Amino acid sequence: MALAFRGVIRNVARRLQVRNYADAPKGDEMALTFAAGNKVFYDKQVVKQIDVPSFSGAFGILPKHVPTLAVLRPGVVTILENDGKQNKIFVSSGTITVNDDSSVQVLAEEAHPLESIDRSAAQEALSKAQSEFNSASNEKAKAEAAIALEVAEEIVKAASA
Amino acid sequence: MSAWRQAGLTYINYSNIAAKVLRRSLKQEFRAEALKRDESHVRVTPWANGRPARKLFFETTFNTYLKRF
Repeated sequence: MALAFRGVIRNVARRLQVRNYADAPKGDEMALTFAAGNKVFYDKQVVKQIDVPSFSGAFGILPKHVPTLAVLRPGVVTILENDGKQNKIFVSSGTITVNDDSSVQVLAEEAHPLESIDRSAAQEALSKAQSEFNSASNEKAKAEAAIALEVAEEIVKAASA
Repeated sequence: MSAWRQAGLTYINYSNIAAKVLRRSLKQEFRAEALKRDESHVRVTPWANGRPARKLFFETTFNTYLKRF
């Protein structure tokens, strides 16, 4: 009798699970929400692919990607939209979440399209960071300058591409 | 372990420095708007024994003393 009871519970649970997935986008679609402190770029928009730079490596996300949590490094997030258009946005830092219903949330601290970046301003920031690094007095200041250096290098690289 | 974490910085610190550098690398027309986000002001009232310990204490956040970047 307990065996039959277990079977019933399992079927009910399965049916409940099926009901939960009913509102998700079609199995092979990916809804992207990409927002930064300064602007919302995408709000649950279905896109084809997203490439992100993270501390655990740069990776591309397609629908049905394994659920993932990752921390973003300074770099370019490339979004391939449904109409084939490619959108490149530079992100200073943030997080990315891939859920099991294929929705993706990219939350950035500060993000700007590559067109908004000024190459010469970026070079200036790079040389400033370089001099800060060389003149750093203690460990903390050196680490801060190293971060600024790393970010500035990435921006120059992105702006030059 | 990251170099910055070993030096005592947190990811929040990292994030703020990275954001500052990015804001300074923008084109002129976007920069004014972006630089407003650099500063944030926090009013802190420390409490002890169920009452404010100090009268009023304005503190500009960590962000502002990273002015050199």
